[in-house]
Amino acid sequence: MDKDLFRITLQGAVAGNHDAFEKIIDLYAPLIEHHCYINGKYDEDLHQYILMRIALKISKFNI
Amino acid sequence: MDYRQNADSRDELRARFTAWLDTLIRRAKLNYLRKTEIPVDIVSLEELFEENIPVSEDEWMRQILFQDNDFNFEEERLATAYAELPLMRQQILKLLYVDELTVGEIAKRLNCSAQYVSDQKQKGLKHLRKKMSEGGDENG
Repeated sequence: MDKDLFRITLQGAVAGNHDAFEKIIDLYAPLIEHHCYINGKYDEDLHQYILMRIALKISKFNI
Repeated sequence: MDYRQNADSRDELRARFTAWLDTLIRRAKLNYLRKTEIPVDIVSLEELFEENIPVSEDEWMRQILFQDNDFNFEEERLATAYAELPLMRQQILKLLYVDELTVGEIAKRLNCSAQYVSDQKQKGLKHLRKKMSEGGDENG
């Protein structure tokens, strides 16, 4: 994803666009999954919790 | 060569968002651990090998700046300060702390003197330290 496309997608996600939000989540899936391990085990509940927190907070990001 | 000419090519928004998201995820994980009370494996200092304990400023900076990848910053403030650096300084810090090249190797790769690399490193670290110490209030 190039610089301009990223900006447009992020603006959409911050504004509440569902498709844009999904694209951002897909883009950052490796980072999110990296944090979903507890004591070496993948925690699906934590994954869901993190996605929920991102969905709740992304509108606060100041572009 | 003025490396600031390439400043437009930096994707500061992406760097800033990545740092913001990383902080958000870390906080979410801490909250989750508190709520679920899952015990996390902790290794005592006595069990650590001595060489794993950071002893130098360089090691400290490496751990804060690049724990897992290029944008795994401890705080958004640091990411912002890093993004403010000229591209050459960013590149030199990355080569030093991510790729773990020596000053001599970097000088050879960038076709410049070792003294120049060393100066850029010092200036870069000084800028980051300054921003980290003064930026506590502005971002909350």
